Amino acid sequence: MKAEISWLDDPEVFRVNQLPARSDHRAFQSTAEATTKQSSLEQSLDGDWQFKFAKTPQERPAGFYDPDYDRSKFDTIAVPGHIEIAGYGQLKYINTTYPWEGKIFRRPAYALNDQDTGKGMFSEGEDNTVGAYATTFTLNPELRDKRVIVQFDGVEEAMYLWLNGQFVGYAEDSFSRSEFDLTPYLKDGENLIAVEVFKRSTAAFIEDQDMFRFSGIFRSVRLVAKPAVFLEDMTLRPDVSDDYKNGDLNLALKLSQTDDAPDAEIRVKVTDGDGREVLSLAKPVANTVSFTDNAFKNVHLWNHMDPYLYHLQIEIVTTAGETLAVVPYDFGFRKVELKNKIMLLNGNRIIINGVNRHEWDAHRGRAVTAEDMTYDMQIFHENNINAVRTCHYPDQIPWYFLCDHEGIYMMAENNLESHGTWQKMGAVEPSYNVPGSVPQWKEAVLDRARSNYETFKNHTAVLFWSLGNESYAGDDIAAMNKFYKDHDDTRLTHYEGVCRNRKYEDQISDMESMMYDPPLEIAKYLENNPKKPFVDCEYMHDMGNSLGGMSSYNDLIDKYPMYQGGFIWDYIDQALWTEDEVTGEPVLRYGGDFDDRHSDYEFSGDGLLFADRTPKPAMQEVKYYYGKHIN
Amino acid sequence: MANTSTKVKVIFGDASLGLRGTNFGYIFSYDRGGLESLVQNGKEWCYRIPRPAFWRATTDNDRGNQFYVKSAQWLGADLFSQCVKIEVFIDGQSVGFPISPENNKYSNQEYATKAAVEYTYETATTPATTVTVRYTVDGTGSIQVAARYNGAKGLPQLPVFGLRFTMPTAATGFDYDGLSGETYPDRMAGGVPGTYHVDGLPVAPFMVPQECGMHMATKSVTVNRDLTLNNADQSRDTFRLTFKQTDKPFAFTCLPYTPEELENATHIEELPLKRRTIFTVYGASRGVGGIDSWGADVEEKYHVSAEDDIAFGFTISGPEG
Repeated sequence: MKAEISWLDDPEVFRVNQLPARSDHRAFQSTAEATTKQSSLEQSLDGDWQFKFAKTPQERPAGFYDPDYDRSKFDTIAVPGHIEIAGYGQLKYINTTYPWEGKIFRRPAYALNDQDTGKGMFSEGEDNTVGAYATTFTLNPELRDKRVIVQFDGVEEAMYLWLNGQFVGYAEDSFSRSEFDLTPYLKDGENLIAVEVFKRSTAAFIEDQDMFRFSGIFRSVRLVAKPAVFLEDMTLRPDVSDDYKNGDLNLALKLSQTDDAPDAEIRVKVTDGDGREVLSLAKPVANTVSFTDNAFKNVHLWNHMDPYLYHLQIEIVTTAGETLAVVPYDFGFRKVELKNKIMLLNGNRIIINGVNRHEWDAHRGRAVTAEDMTYDMQIFHENNINAVRTCHYPDQIPWYFLCDHEGIYMMAENNLESHGTWQKMGAVEPSYNVPGSVPQWKEAVLDRARSNYETFKNHTAVLFWSLGNESYAGDDIAAMNKFYKDHDDTRLTHYEGVCRNRKYEDQISDMESMMYDPPLEIAKYLENNPKKPFVDCEYMHDMGNSLGGMSSYNDLIDKYPMYQGGFIWDYIDQALWTEDEVTGEPVLRYGGDFDDRHSDYEFSGDGLLFADRTPKPAMQEVKYYYGKHIN
Repeated sequence: MANTSTKVKVIFGDASLGLRGTNFGYIFSYDRGGLESLVQNGKEWCYRIPRPAFWRATTDNDRGNQFYVKSAQWLGADLFSQCVKIEVFIDGQSVGFPISPENNKYSNQEYATKAAVEYTYETATTPATTVTVRYTVDGTGSIQVAARYNGAKGLPQLPVFGLRFTMPTAATGFDYDGLSGETYPDRMAGGVPGTYHVDGLPVAPFMVPQECGMHMATKSVTVNRDLTLNNADQSRDTFRLTFKQTDKPFAFTCLPYTPEELENATHIEELPLKRRTIFTVYGASRGVGGIDSWGADVEEKYHVSAEDDIAFGFTISGPEG
């Protein structure tokens, strides 16, 4: 197959040769590896890559992925990282309007006219910078003679992949993991992997989040070897009985095997929090294997105050006794329900003491580190924050595991925001909204819901699936809601944008979600025969010196059982460390500080934390009110 | 000086009223229109006269809901209001405005149990209104300050009403008995009562500098300095000035910048070097709000009407504390 640059213009092309999204479990070669979390089946490709920047697609180094191409004039760039922070391409922050505002006239393909294919809109976009990345690797011994895939955890905003000069595949959706099978293209010795990253594609219309606009390979890249028998996917369903006393574990596994795979069995073991074995089962390997109705009497439930996890370990062992793979996964038993129009966790009314959290690091942009995550979790605990909305895209995978372990309720949002297509100068004007009900945009957004669900479906912490943010409502988002509902009856769906187009309110979102509604308006809703429980998906806009009047929201919790709290906007200011042009001192700079226009300037700073991660003075107020209803 | 230890010595000057006692000396200026000098234990605390405070550096929420436009007059009033009347009281009796030749009748041996100066300021607003600030000094050097804003129909809501002191050098820190952290009328439930020490003069580093550093419900605050502008005083020993509640707790900020300096900066690094201590005691402050930053008003109960009177007071301790 040949890579086509026209895919950038076509909303119907968003993944080519990508492997299907699947569970985010890791595989290890032995139980010892599983304990230390160091997998010899994985080989990191993070580090310095060869790099060439081009201002437009037309100026890009065509054919750079060819082993014979002369890349001696290439620079180097750190992976993971953003191209702009590395000094190529202008930094830019903007909220609602598209980053090309005032520079290029664009309308999403097919939005106004089904003959409008958008041809050339991005493939010839004068603002479409390109990063040509290349590096070489030699497989570690443990990966040799196995099937090998490559995992890109995050590439913004469209990528083409080649191995040893041969085209492998194409991916959009900047914030979901993209996997490709490299096996057919691998060779002994040194391999050349090349990635062409475009800053813009049709994805730009649905990735219009209120944030700095970056491009590049900004999350980790790694190779993963698949032993002869491999656990491709698993669906864990730890159900809880109606009286919340007993658990019932169901496991559905999908496996792949090489043609010469040895006979093997799957062993499933579950231990409790004290390491006591509570379940041990085995079945022969097949393409799909299920373990159903495994009773856990007097099960220890999971919640924020007591995030009790059981430890699942799946081992694939040959009849000769050789361990091919070990897959550990911690999970909890908990039950999410909507009863009498109130959302319950394990039978108790859920109170969301939440924050919206963009991934942010003032040195690294959205390429946050494990240390950032650990720190953030500590801040959550210190301030009685019990819930997080992954605004408005999936976060790095370790964050979900951390939330499982730390008892943080997650509203797991897929990557979608298109407010620039329907919010004009603050007014609702959806004339060219996408995805809307435009058929050519439906599969792209459904794919985002699918990736989000498949990747994170086993996380105990995820109580809610969120369909994205501020994208209006239409058939396409209704289809996303249906996807989640068809695949998962153990969680609830959330989408705020349906309140802008009430026609879809019975098809989209289990909860009534509003943003920035004043307490008096919320009370009005709750007193007028409300259909759904109410959640503030964004409230208490903490821009600058703010966060006054929180008591009025707190009062709603006490007064209305159907008011279930909300997520403060937001966790951390988006500003970047840079050098003062006058003094040379390190300073934090925000939107508009890089000559970036059109800009929304200091609107990038609405956090409970300053960009350097120190809490703002208002934080003690959050701690106080969130401490009143912690559960 | 016989039997004068509990009385305050009064100097009926030609341009000021001087009030002196053991280890203190205050000059209430007639031509500057305010307390020009507050010396305790040989250390000066006034760089310029204290002035009525009406403005706070615009917060992002103030900008979003256009409060800064609607109440813009108060910025002018904060900068430019002037003293229009001065009256002196000796032991509670008005002696008018005792400048020469009327003061020729006094001597260098004038004492009072209490002496007071009341300044009236006219606001640079339309309509104009007045603020009175009365300083009452006793023989221990304690200064009781009473400030009163006279409400006037038609004036826009106030950001704050307070009295702002400008101290000659930057404080090394301050200690207060009040609430933890930075608190506002609509954001003080999380403040934990206690005594707190703050090092230096921190400015909360909001991306765009803005109102910050408010401490509500304060019983007392002591400002610590170790540097004077007096060329003959090279000591770096810490010296202190204490403000305490008269009847009711008060709010204060202790910052290195005026609201206007903060207002003018787009980034914290644009602020000038920390040279002074800008210490303000407030009788009223608008809440900061939080519903959104593009139009939502601060909840009504946290507004400060300029059409109603506002009175507040506090006491500056004498040199013996």
